Amino acid sequence: MKNQASSSQKTSKFGLTSLFNRFISFEKGSTFLPPFSFGVWIFFLAGLIPSLIVGWIIYPMALYSKQPQPMNFNHALHLNPEIVDGIEGDTETERCLFCHTFREDGTFAGIPKLDKCLECHDDPESPLGETPEEQEFLNKYVAEEQEIPWLSYFRQPDCVYFSHIAHVKIGDQDCETCHGDFGRTEKLPAYKVNRMTGYSIDIWGRNIAGYKTNTWDRMKMDDCAECHTENDLEENNACFVCHK
Amino acid sequence: MEINRRHFIALLVGGAAGINATPLPWKFTDDIAIWTQNWPWVPVPPTGEFSHVKSVCTLCPGGCGIEVRKVDDRAVKIEGRTDYPVNPGGICPLGMGGLQLLYNESIRFTGPMKRVGPRGSGKFIAITWDEAINTIADRISDLRKQERPEALAAIDGNPTMGTMASMIERLLRAVGSPNYERIPSAEDTYRMTNLVMQGTEGPMAYDLENADYILSFGSGLLEGWGAPGRVINAWGLWQEHTAKRKARVVQIESRASNTASKADQWLAPKPGTEAALALGLAHVIIKEHLHNADFVDAYSFGFNNWASPDGKNHMGYKTMVLNSYSPDQVAEITGLQPKDIVALARDFAGAKAPVATCGKGKGYLNGSLYEFMAVQGLNALVGNINMPGGVLVCDPPPLSPLPEIQKDTIAREGLKKSRLDHAGTRRYPFSKSLIGDFAKTIIKSPKSPVNTLLVFSANPDFTLPDGGAFREALKKVPFIVSFSPYQDETSYMADLILPDHTYLEKMDDVVWPTGLQYPLYGISKPVVKPVYATRNSGDVIMQLAKRIGGSVGSSFPWKKYDDVLKERAKGLFDTQAGLVHYDGSVPAWKRLRDRGSVTPDYKNFDDMWKKIKAGGFWYLPVHAYKNWDRLFKTPTGKFEFFSTRIELAFDDYALLKNMGIAEKGDAACMPHFEPALSGADRSAYPLLMLPYEMINLASGWTPPPPFLNKTIFDNQLRKNESFAEINPKTASKYGLKEGDRVTIKSPQGTVRVCVNLFEGAMPGIVYLPLGFGHTAYDEFSRGKGVNPNDIIHMGKDPLSGHPVWWNTPVQLIKV
Amino acid sequence: MEQQKGGIYRYGMVIDLDKCTGCGTCMIACAAENNVSVRPDQTDKERTITWMKLYKITNGKEFPHTEVSYFPRPCMHCDEDGRGHHQPSCVSVCVATATKIDHNTGIVSQIYTRCIGCRYCQAACPYGARYFNWWDTYFPKGKGLERYLSPEISPRMRGVVEKCTFCHHRLMRAKTQAYAEDRTDIEEHEYTTACAEACPAQAITFGDLNNPEHKVSQLIKSPYAFRLLERLNTKPKVYYLSTKDWVRKMADNYLPGEFKPVTKVTG
Repeated sequence: MKNQASSSQKTSKFGLTSLFNRFISFEKGSTFLPPFSFGVWIFFLAGLIPSLIVGWIIYPMALYSKQPQPMNFNHALHLNPEIVDGIEGDTETERCLFCHTFREDGTFAGIPKLDKCLECHDDPESPLGETPEEQEFLNKYVAEEQEIPWLSYFRQPDCVYFSHIAHVKIGDQDCETCHGDFGRTEKLPAYKVNRMTGYSIDIWGRNIAGYKTNTWDRMKMDDCAECHTENDLEENNACFVCHK
Repeated sequence: MEINRRHFIALLVGGAAGINATPLPWKFTDDIAIWTQNWPWVPVPPTGEFSHVKSVCTLCPGGCGIEVRKVDDRAVKIEGRTDYPVNPGGICPLGMGGLQLLYNESIRFTGPMKRVGPRGSGKFIAITWDEAINTIADRISDLRKQERPEALAAIDGNPTMGTMASMIERLLRAVGSPNYERIPSAEDTYRMTNLVMQGTEGPMAYDLENADYILSFGSGLLEGWGAPGRVINAWGLWQEHTAKRKARVVQIESRASNTASKADQWLAPKPGTEAALALGLAHVIIKEHLHNADFVDAYSFGFNNWASPDGKNHMGYKTMVLNSYSPDQVAEITGLQPKDIVALARDFAGAKAPVATCGKGKGYLNGSLYEFMAVQGLNALVGNINMPGGVLVCDPPPLSPLPEIQKDTIAREGLKKSRLDHAGTRRYPFSKSLIGDFAKTIIKSPKSPVNTLLVFSANPDFTLPDGGAFREALKKVPFIVSFSPYQDETSYMADLILPDHTYLEKMDDVVWPTGLQYPLYGISKPVVKPVYATRNSGDVIMQLAKRIGGSVGSSFPWKKYDDVLKERAKGLFDTQAGLVHYDGSVPAWKRLRDRGSVTPDYKNFDDMWKKIKAGGFWYLPVHAYKNWDRLFKTPTGKFEFFSTRIELAFDDYALLKNMGIAEKGDAACMPHFEPALSGADRSAYPLLMLPYEMINLASGWTPPPPFLNKTIFDNQLRKNESFAEINPKTASKYGLKEGDRVTIKSPQGTVRVCVNLFEGAMPGIVYLPLGFGHTAYDEFSRGKGVNPNDIIHMGKDPLSGHPVWWNTPVQLIKV
Repeated sequence: MEQQKGGIYRYGMVIDLDKCTGCGTCMIACAAENNVSVRPDQTDKERTITWMKLYKITNGKEFPHTEVSYFPRPCMHCDEDGRGHHQPSCVSVCVATATKIDHNTGIVSQIYTRCIGCRYCQAACPYGARYFNWWDTYFPKGKGLERYLSPEISPRMRGVVEKCTFCHHRLMRAKTQAYAEDRTDIEEHEYTTACAEACPAQAITFGDLNNPEHKVSQLIKSPYAFRLLERLNTKPKVYYLSTKDWVRKMADNYLPGEFKPVTKVTG
């Protein structure tokens, strides 16, 4: 048994070395074995490069459909206390919660409904600022009493239950931890949705390879579990805590 | 350069290496996995803001409180509510499935429609509301021009005391037609019983929660009788009492129903002999002097023999019972053991607060008047009339009367014509409406005396017995208008559909849930905005009346139906009592027992109405107990074992036979037993078929929500075949095994079912559940099982003239 | 989230069979609460899904001594031993980790998107509490029935197993409410299952078996308390109460003479 094992190891080593030698020999121009000809390399690259382009550039472009939001919303402007004083809160997160509020039963309202906007923008005739976006908003939605059909970047699929209040209020997490610096943007990015799964791009993350450097780069199950584990809350990795 | 195989392989290898060096394969695999988890045809319920709307369920006359959970504008769940006096949190399975009636488009009418296919085909096309209302208004106006307004008739299944019923009757009277027909129910028999024995018109009010001995003559306490949420809760209370006070429940029924099985004692007399059993109990109670002498001696009439002012001697209840209903005699009639009868009588009379209830099954089917009288006689014997834990005598609900109906000459003349069903005439002096005779008159006449028939909240084509006789009548009626929101059997026969809202979309009242022991007025309100282009029938009646115009229009001075509700509710305020809030920790029945007083928890009428609309109810948990000297409104002013009202109505005893009464003498005015006659040849039809009701099966007008099918056992309905319960002994006589297919044949027709061998079935009787066998609605219920009504022999109950449901001779033919 | 670690809660149910009237409200409350699929052919019991199912039993005696009783059967949420050796039988066989027991609540979960539909768990469950979706949930276009679906429970697709979850979403609902009110603990009445809440006879009690204050932990001390197929050592967290010997006897397969009726009742 022992011998067999060691001999098989040897052969594999031998195989590898010889393969390696081939490449070496090509680079050194050795005549030991007929090297891959230049033509073979051209073909190899002709296969390699386009497929890299397909995989890294074309596929991601084709995979996601792009949809503009119905209108722009300037988060930075609204959260700047020097410009807008109606949005109260001591911390950034509290100011987020002013509009993205918790309901009385603790559920998270998500993207605010028109009613919330009307708390400040109550008169379609008198804009509070000077931006064309606000004018559009007042004419198109406030005057017509129409809800804005916002597209949600962060909607989890139907099988997921996510409790905002458990994370923000009890877990003391900042909005930024998962949503990044959305609150500081001036323009809403286009809503990109995976054509195959119907998920927003922000679930898998904007990096097609799924690399993440920040906590908010990705919103997959592993990311939830990773954070729970890091924070010594492993019991929250039980299936039903996040699934319904 | 020569391109060879090697180059080609290099290309592939390069491509493969490249692809694998990109995220594509991993992302693709992951996405495919996710894709398979999100099929586009699996619905994803949209989320939103959760809210609760409180209302009252009106799927049955029980009127339990419900709380509907909503997500934004969608209703997603119906739950019982704990701040409503009737039911402390629980509701019945039917009420639980109500959303499937609201949202199932294939059983609803989405707007007014006109029939295009043949009757019964269910082919309709949409029309506008104006066209629909104009069509009927024109027809009614034509009838009035021809001076035959009585050719308009209506069939109404709304609860008797509700505002909707009074609106429909009002329309008919304003037009000038006496032909207002109601679907018979136990309520009718209760009303007649109270009228002939107590002289009162109030509802039958059982103080169940405070009783400690419940002798139920077939009442399906656990099959949906009364307000199911209340009665089943009372059942729980009876079980919960400490050993000292545990209430005892005795069920008198031929089949081991849920109630019979769960009762402390089950006695199974032959069906139809319950009256004899009640009188047999009375015999023992009287003979052993166990009756309440205080009550019987001073506050009852006809107990002892008596002489009328003209000097004629009359037999009293005591003599009749002692002569004809000894335990042995009764045992002979009922098939029970004499010793059981004696023991039961002693138990009943010995209890502190015994109550005997009548009204079989869910109470949807009318009962036998003499039987109800016999049971009420038992309550009187033990003096538990208007006492805690007994039968309370209540005034009718204190609602304001509506203003006088305006009648022109045509209407006045029309109302002078006799009713097509002869109810209220000398033949049926106590009945208000007899739908069986109504149908018979139509069938017998060469040309239908009814020209236009309006049907409200009723599905008589499905729910009435007698082998499709009602459908024959419907076929002869030239024009039928259905106001049903659902595509039921009767609507399929209609020419015009004016769909009502479902109960979750409209405002209506629930006046005094069946059997409740205190007055309660509930408001069921729109839980969601109307899903389709339907209209509240109350509003449609007003629009119709206005369109007819003249005195008919001015009989309806209101703008909308809600105004009528508000006007009637003024009477509640005028009582200067009553509550609109309910604290679950002090149940209404406890308040009633503790005899507290009630200070209204509202300031003025508008405040009260606002609170009723918000909370959904007004109730008055006080009662003047005993009060025997002023209680009874009979000609003698006493509780009448011998009903002078019946005697007056008879006028001449020679008429008794015409009225279907076999008894000849004084006993005809007292509760007594009469064997039901069917006229069928019993040697050809040796068995009896009895329909039975289940709480988890919709057997009335309400369509069955698909959820209910989940609760049906597979020996009740399997695939599309329903089962008949047969005792193994009877089955073996016919060589039948479990699951065998069998044809049940009665003189009225045949049905084919499978056999379910059930020890709890009385030998010699075949039991079929009511509620299967729909030919309308959708694939969830259409063609599933058989409808026992197709073969029921509709006998006539003596005195009341209502159908007899419990006497259908049948034979079994193995398939 | 300040939650104590490891097996603090053990949610369980007590069903009083003397009170149960067999009305079936629990079944419908469950189906309505949990978006359970309805199908036209569900009158064939092999094709229906009922997380909570009513079993009808009779004492087998002749007329008129026949008695009927009912067993409402949810998922038993069989217990673990806490050391990972003893698991509910469905959990230990699941090849896809789609069903697990939550050590913190004792609730056995079922994740539909994880389930591969091998039905091994269904075979392993001695109570028949698991149901396989042979078909997609029945919501034909144009009927509008999907409008009553609740967003709190994800509708199932074809090819997965489903079962009672003790209305876990109601626990999450109660927690969310508590958090909104600055509490981290929930009261007994705040989390109850749809069936327990709906039962008009109040036959079903739900609560934390570990908490001596909860009604369930008092009820299971009754001499009339028993569990289904107790001797399989599945440790169900659903208890039944019945004073009737013949009913209790139905709960397991006893050899002649093996069944011991309750003779002495204390308390």
